[in-house]
Amino acid sequence: MHLSREAIVEGLQKIVAPGDVITDERILVESSVDNFRKLQNIFNVHTMPVPAAVVMARSTDQVAQILSFANEHGVNVIPRTGGTATEGGLESAVPDSVIIDGSAMNQILSVDAYNMQATCQCGVPLQTLEDRVRELGLTTGHSPQSKPVAHMGGLVATRSIGQFSTLYGGIEDMVVGLEAVFPGGQVTRIKNVPRRAAGPDIRHVVIGNEGALCFITEVTVKLFPYFPENNTFLGYTLKDMKTGFEVLRKVMVNGYKPSVARVYDPGDAGLHFSHFAAEDDCVLLFMAEGPAGIAKATAEGIDAIVAGHPECTKVDSLYIETWFNDLCWGPDKITAEDERIRQTRNVNRTTEISADWGHINDIYQAARARIIEEIPDITMMGGHSSHSYINGTNMYFNYFFNVVGVGPEEETTKYYLPIISIICEETLKRGGSIVHHHGMGKARAPWVKDEYGSSYYILETLKRSFDPQDIMNKGTIFPT
Amino acid sequence: MKILVCFKVTPDYEALREADWAAGAGGEPDTRFVQRILNCFDESALELALRLSETLEAQGVTPSLGALSIGGREAEPHLKTLQALGYGRAARVEADARLDFAPALVASLIARYAGRVERSDLLLLGCRSGPGDSGTVPFLVAETLGWPCVPQVTEVSPLGADRVRVTCTAGDGLLHATVRLPCVLAVGNAVVSRLRVPTLRDRLAHKTLSIDVVDAADLGIEVAAGTSDQTCVLTAFEPISRARRGVVIDGDTPHKKARVLFDSYLKSVVEAL
Repeated sequence: MHLSREAIVEGLQKIVAPGDVITDERILVESSVDNFRKLQNIFNVHTMPVPAAVVMARSTDQVAQILSFANEHGVNVIPRTGGTATEGGLESAVPDSVIIDGSAMNQILSVDAYNMQATCQCGVPLQTLEDRVRELGLTTGHSPQSKPVAHMGGLVATRSIGQFSTLYGGIEDMVVGLEAVFPGGQVTRIKNVPRRAAGPDIRHVVIGNEGALCFITEVTVKLFPYFPENNTFLGYTLKDMKTGFEVLRKVMVNGYKPSVARVYDPGDAGLHFSHFAAEDDCVLLFMAEGPAGIAKATAEGIDAIVAGHPECTKVDSLYIETWFNDLCWGPDKITAEDERIRQTRNVNRTTEISADWGHINDIYQAARARIIEEIPDITMMGGHSSHSYINGTNMYFNYFFNVVGVGPEEETTKYYLPIISIICEETLKRGGSIVHHHGMGKARAPWVKDEYGSSYYILETLKRSFDPQDIMNKGTIFPT
Repeated sequence: MKILVCFKVTPDYEALREADWAAGAGGEPDTRFVQRILNCFDESALELALRLSETLEAQGVTPSLGALSIGGREAEPHLKTLQALGYGRAARVEADARLDFAPALVASLIARYAGRVERSDLLLLGCRSGPGDSGTVPFLVAETLGWPCVPQVTEVSPLGADRVRVTCTAGDGLLHATVRLPCVLAVGNAVVSRLRVPTLRDRLAHKTLSIDVVDAADLGIEVAAGTSDQTCVLTAFEPISRARRGVVIDGDTPHKKARVLFDSYLKSVVEAL
């Protein structure tokens, strides 16, 4: 028998301080969505079931007790820290869910500059950790656009990636060990070692689970020496994305490790680089970093590769450096963007996919053409590749549309989901992955079986094994 | 009704770091490497004019809407956007001179274009265009044309074909006025501060429209190449201190924290009201 809202709140108040069980209606309503339905939040129109409570967890033990309580009574829980999710992963898909908020677990537990690793609780903002280790001349190497507002637990839970990924990797390459709590209240710690071959790498059961398997309470990440004085920027304009992808491919295949390697299509370039790029220009850019010799060799090697493509025109590196220094989004930019949307009803959305070098341009071209043709009220349809590997790269579709003739609550069904659908179809058709780094959330969960194919057996078994009562973030990764 | 909106494309000063400003100490910060944007007051003016135009159309009056910028090619992407939004005429006046801190020159170019080329009835401008601006251009334009100027406009709506109803801030209050055309409106802190965005289809449909490029000499204003008509010179600047202090309130419950907040701060504020 399901508990009433009152009984859920009462049960939680026996675990944490009564004041840490938040039942304020406004907060509950706002907590029913994440940035996937940001238009609804901006216009204060909400359609998702209202959670029963937001519970502030302050220790691993409290998380364990909350999960045990939820498991016993079949209460859906939604793990949350910074709350910057973009794909509906934090939406309450069913009534009377409980948001477990780990943002109060915000202690940096250790910074070990000798073994080059730092341990922190899930609610530590990445910016806070980065600022701390910078004092020691170190860096986490992780710099997603959400760095000022995202927290470590959520970054690990969504398999996030940062702007310097080509050198440092995604969060999965940075996490050394972690602590997580599973639905029955089982606390598990994965120890911090450089590598081991003692069976499957179980970190990957937790990294990217999006709160659908467990709650991450603590993470240990690698640290790297920081040499900002050696940062070297390179920028070029060119006329087509195919050449841009090919340059990126050559850079990767030849073994160079720039921290940033990107190509922007004309639409996306117009948003950032209109002060030096023509209307139909693509923009290719790189940043080399590290010890002086490595940064210099990397920049020179890349420049030589680009020189083999005379259609690329070099631009002053200060254009790239100045742009890059203003790239992260803090609360001020988010607030300004919300106000812009409120006034213009012009909404910006992104969808990121990945594929091998042989297919990425075809996916980009096909999806872009279909979206422009099939979706109404598009004001910009573009994108960029920003995370490259030896066998392929990502495509970060970036698009804007005017919301016309429908209320904020219908924006996702009229525009956003049809666009996602086109991108997923064109990606799956060519063997790519429909999610590069935002996570599946609930937005792309309907495609999970197509994404995984026969390997869905493994994923589904994880869910059945670790969450047999199906209380963990219903609808995320696994569609309801 | 012939409406002309004048706008200036400015460097995105927000994209400059403090170090970039410091590098320009004693002169000017190097803004070559940041994007060019519409300044916020001009953006308000451009959107207000579109809304005014729509209201007129709904009343059966066909307005004529034009956009003008004084300066170089950096204005052209914005002029193309404005064409896609319904601005029937888009123009820029080239003057081979320093235009920063040269309000008299800018005003004379705008006034000459509005009076001789456009023969406008209603001129909207942002009240100022960027940090350090004098904010005198709208007044100088009005004086040159011999038209009234309404400052700090926040709203405008039509009253027939030859008058507009304007709201503007005045001290701590709002002033509502009916103004007979022709007139100049200097747009201030309007609630409407964002320009709408044209669709790709609108852009495509207006792609072939040309932008009028007018030389200052064609307006009968001779500007010697490279000369400056600046009325003031930037000699130095220093960062505004944005340091803030905060107090972390301790307490076991939100109620206890709220009590501390009220007793130690809010109570005195409320009592002082």
